[in-house]
Amino acid sequence: MVQVRGAMGLWAERYREKWRWDRVVWGSHAVDCYPGGCPWYVFVRDGRVVREEQAGTLPQIEAGVPDMNPMGCQKGACWSHLLYAPERVTRPLKRAGERGEGKWEEISWDQALTEIADHILDAMTEQGPESVIWLGTPEIGAIPARAAATYLGHVTTDGNAEFQDMSPGYYLTWGVFNPVASMDDWFHARLILIWHANPVYTNIHWYHFIAEARYNGGEVITIAPDYSPSAIHADYHIPVRIGTDAALALAMCKVIIDEGLYDRRFVQEQTDLPLLVRRDNGRFLRQADMADGGREDQFYWWDAKAQIPVPAPLTTLALGDVEPALEGTYRVRLKDGTEVEVEPVFQRLCRRLEDYQPEKAAQICEVRPELIRMVARKVATRPTKIFSGWNPGKHYHGDLMERSMALLLALTGNWGKKGTGTRSWAVGGSTAWFLLPLLEKADPAEAREVYRRLIEALETVRSFDPTLTREMALIRVQQELGMADPRTPGRMVPPAFLWYYHFGYKERWNRREWHDPSMKRSFDEYFQEALEKGWWDSGWARVWQQVEPRVLIEAGGNVLRRQRGGQELLLKHAWPKLKCIVSIDYRINTTGLYADYILPAAQHYEKVGFSMPSIHHLTTVLADRAVPPLDQAKSDWEIAILLLEKVEERARQRGIKEVTNRAGQAISLEGLAERATLGGAIRDEDARMDLILRSDAAIGILSGDASLAKLRQVGHMRWRRLGLLGHGPSQAADIRPHETFSPFRWHVEDKLPYATLTRRAQFYIDHEWFLEAGEELPCHKEVPPMGGNYPFRLTSGHNRWSIHSMNQTNKIILNTHRGEPFAFINNRDAEAKGIKNGDYIRIYNDCGSMIIQAKVSPAVRPGQIIVYNGWEPYTHRRWYSESDLEPGMVKWLHLAGGYGHLRYRLLHWQPIPVDRAITVDVEKVSP
Amino acid sequence: MSERQLAWVIDLNKCLGCQACTLACKTHWTTDVGTEHQWWLIVNTLPGQGHPRGWQEMGGGYRDGEPLPGRLPKREEWGQAWDFNYQEVLEGGKGQQVHLLPFNPDGSHPSWGPNWEEDLGAGEYPNAYFFYLPHLCHHCSRPSCLDACPRDAIYKRPQDGLVLIDEERCNGCRLCVEACPYKRIYFNPIAEICQKCIGCYPRIEQGVAPACVRQCPGRAVWVGFLDDEEGAVYKLVRKWQVALPLLPHLGTQPNVYYVPPLSPPPIGEDGEAQWGQGRIPMEYLRRLFGPQVDQALATLQAEREKARSGQTSELMRILIAYRFQELLGPFTVNPSQLQRPVGQNPTLT
Repeated sequence: MVQVRGAMGLWAERYREKWRWDRVVWGSHAVDCYPGGCPWYVFVRDGRVVREEQAGTLPQIEAGVPDMNPMGCQKGACWSHLLYAPERVTRPLKRAGERGEGKWEEISWDQALTEIADHILDAMTEQGPESVIWLGTPEIGAIPARAAATYLGHVTTDGNAEFQDMSPGYYLTWGVFNPVASMDDWFHARLILIWHANPVYTNIHWYHFIAEARYNGGEVITIAPDYSPSAIHADYHIPVRIGTDAALALAMCKVIIDEGLYDRRFVQEQTDLPLLVRRDNGRFLRQADMADGGREDQFYWWDAKAQIPVPAPLTTLALGDVEPALEGTYRVRLKDGTEVEVEPVFQRLCRRLEDYQPEKAAQICEVRPELIRMVARKVATRPTKIFSGWNPGKHYHGDLMERSMALLLALTGNWGKKGTGTRSWAVGGSTAWFLLPLLEKADPAEAREVYRRLIEALETVRSFDPTLTREMALIRVQQELGMADPRTPGRMVPPAFLWYYHFGYKERWNRREWHDPSMKRSFDEYFQEALEKGWWDSGWARVWQQVEPRVLIEAGGNVLRRQRGGQELLLKHAWPKLKCIVSIDYRINTTGLYADYILPAAQHYEKVGFSMPSIHHLTTVLADRAVPPLDQAKSDWEIAILLLEKVEERARQRGIKEVTNRAGQAISLEGLAERATLGGAIRDEDARMDLILRSDAAIGILSGDASLAKLRQVGHMRWRRLGLLGHGPSQAADIRPHETFSPFRWHVEDKLPYATLTRRAQFYIDHEWFLEAGEELPCHKEVPPMGGNYPFRLTSGHNRWSIHSMNQTNKIILNTHRGEPFAFINNRDAEAKGIKNGDYIRIYNDCGSMIIQAKVSPAVRPGQIIVYNGWEPYTHRRWYSESDLEPGMVKWLHLAGGYGHLRYRLLHWQPIPVDRAITVDVEKVSP
Repeated sequence: MSERQLAWVIDLNKCLGCQACTLACKTHWTTDVGTEHQWWLIVNTLPGQGHPRGWQEMGGGYRDGEPLPGRLPKREEWGQAWDFNYQEVLEGGKGQQVHLLPFNPDGSHPSWGPNWEEDLGAGEYPNAYFFYLPHLCHHCSRPSCLDACPRDAIYKRPQDGLVLIDEERCNGCRLCVEACPYKRIYFNPIAEICQKCIGCYPRIEQGVAPACVRQCPGRAVWVGFLDDEEGAVYKLVRKWQVALPLLPHLGTQPNVYYVPPLSPPPIGEDGEAQWGQGRIPMEYLRRLFGPQVDQALATLQAEREKARSGQTSELMRILIAYRFQELLGPFTVNPSQLQRPVGQNPTLT
């Protein structure tokens, strides 16, 4: 007899009492998990944050499509535990022992700022302002701190190189690397290829759209070497051999073309595949070949109707009356009267694809030919999305993989409409945030005026070449003028050149046996040629031949965890040159442990901000100050202003009025804080945030009533448009209020050209280096033996439990797995090596070695070792982590420039070290 | 029996194993001294030994209406709450000689924990398989813990059927732990009482869904009354019969229901996919969810087929949950709208 009792005793009140609070504040965690910006409620009780819970208040956007609630993951659900955690730092610390020794002296803010300001001034006067380097990490809290760089002429390293989330193959194809659909658009897909991604770990807050798309009639196929956590909910898992994804994609392309399943109109219109290429030199046929004074960027189709070459329009993708041939060989007369044979790229592609006939490709990628055919047919017949993360770009030949995947989408017409496309990271939605340094006074009307002048400037650029779209004009401004004005929003330098000269990479990158054999000359020859041709001058590449880095400031990031090539390389080469290393953070991370000073920053719940505003959800989310900063911690905006004031004060005392940078620009050291705070008007962080929000309203990005007060009521506001700065323009689409967002609609619907050399999605790169390497078209190349000749391949990916190293040492999270780093190894491999689950193993190669706990699983592909990244080096023995095994190689072709879209602008095309599929061996070690 | 019965439905095809429910639960209820090792809800990778280790072999529940003997899990089988040497590493002045490590309360290095076998799975490559199982108190309609309690400290609330432990009557004898076939009851060594999932009754009483439901980013968990014929829980459990109890043969009539996991087809010796079957062995699923699992998976597949061919399917519509609120049953109140000032009960300290 089951006993039923209604009354509850006094004990029951204790649980009711636990669930009480004094205040509820909007919060978010402002980290770059793409998208960050989950709206949370933060519960405050007795002056402390006691809990947080997803708000669950996002609106349904499109009828018949699920809403985005309750957006937020397990990390967010215990973020408050970081506030009062043992790794929290709340007082300025000065190193009291050797770097990395972990001996600290508590000092006053005034002492810390004075000493750092003096180091900065020493560096600026002795080596120049460029010798003070602020590392560019995406942690948004760091951005106010980096305002110091704006006013002092320091350099910020390019974030995309620092955190290595570039998609080079997408960039080569589209001229942008980051087309991003809204999260809910995934519901529209009928086929989702999870390919080079593990969203079950990395996109916890919106994976449900994939699961729901599956219930909506869609299918999911996961392509991964391992039976990854993202394979378990798939309709099929394709166990591809590591690093052979290009072969798989190209084989599918081959099937689609052979079976006539390709979208001919889409290919003709949206891609360069109908453009004519000269058979004599493999270069596109250009107007400059045909006529004196002809454009280098005017290309040609062969009109199958008129049987003549016709210029492919510069200003539209529309075909008009032309029927561009995809096949055939034709003769054209050049300006010197000679005739050459030309053929469409498509025909060359078909020849290239002969190598990827499914039976041949199966030998490479170890996927059955019938399966390749089956998937290819599916892609060709339904709206398809490829869920690629930033994994392919972290492969040596990731560009080839991404170009092949993009080709698959192109042949099947799979972008520019709902339920199609691929993804990368993209932020946007606050133009005012970028404009702030350009304002003279704290007035939204002025922001509107500055924005108007920016648009005017673009129109001026367009007046010189009316064929440019606004996006192209904007890119041109970023490329050519990007470094000219120290106040340029988001000014960054590509750090590869700094690394080459000062961080010890020269030797690594010149290990020829770790490069692809198709690299015909030494790495240095390519490097020098690129510099001599001035391809990287817009990124100040040559500055590092003259300037030695002196001060390094890491605000919110953790370079010694992150850097491919490992902490050893940095500690050995860069650290001795640095007179002063500063970590600005709310916690002590490994970089902090090796720093000279740690400045205690406010945590996300202790300051006012808005989280990384992302195109994934098109929403500005308030991260409000739930409690004041603990002890002596300060918001990063306040730290930035205090530092500027101190530099100014010390400069005055030392009689330094201004310094000159390598571009000959004078950097005044007077009135710094006055300028940064717009005369003091935005010294208060609430005032600053309010100005940003009201300026975004004035520009039309947010609705007219946007303000901090309004956001404190509603928590989040959906954007009305994307704005011109950030990654907004890369999307080439407008926000529709009641529909999911799909990028590239301007191209597909409005026929607006792409920002590539050919103004089309470009699969043929006729840059001399690409022709030399045989990579003018996508192809497969084997992963070079980076790390030496060892039998295993080490792969990685973001882990489930942290955002990079942030939250990784959260005690409550550590208790939900093994509490320490581990490596996955296949059970058969483990057996052969005498390794059991839970044993410690040494993973090693020519670069280094690490010791780590083994997790033995049949889900791992034989020959594969998986170490998910994000572990603090200080959680490893001797602090050696997987980055110490990564050679950090750079593919030489990524130094190419001087060609259409192959130029540097912030966050885009540049050499970035890779880390996937390096060679290692493993052995059991005694505990 | 209670007048009404609350039930949970967890769709294992949407569960990501992310532990958001685990941490939502933990941060609500088990942060005090004595409860650090308690995970009233934990997500484990199956196949696997789970938490506590090997709980399926520890007995409890009923056979033919008679209680089955059970045994108490040992402390190391539960896994203990780990602490870490933060101070030593971050400010101990020992440099790279030390690194951050977990420690059991007795200083030993852990060899088991609540989620030790995360993502290990079973099978052989390329046909490895695994799935995630969120595991909380089943608030059984015939709770063996209640039957086993010698102090009448366990009772079932009439209004919602939640099974609760009266912490004043409980004397920590732990017979309930032995009797529970799911081993979802913990011992608090400080308070010397047994504790477990309370169904978030303080939230439910205010019209707010349990934390594991409202905080699931996978939108994989529904809550509601089993007799609400319009509710998703009723429809998934009773009407469509795709949500099944765990280990139903143990006779406790549990009220947490699982939509069983589909899985990709295995790959045969010849490299070809074995279409039409999942790679998780049906024998294994039948052992967990009973013989109804075949029909439940068949229904899921058939309804997915309907959706693929463009037909509407009520089942798919429910599982999609177009609106977040559909998951919450009648408990749709937004917690931020509540006034919950501290100190309403001065008698409590």
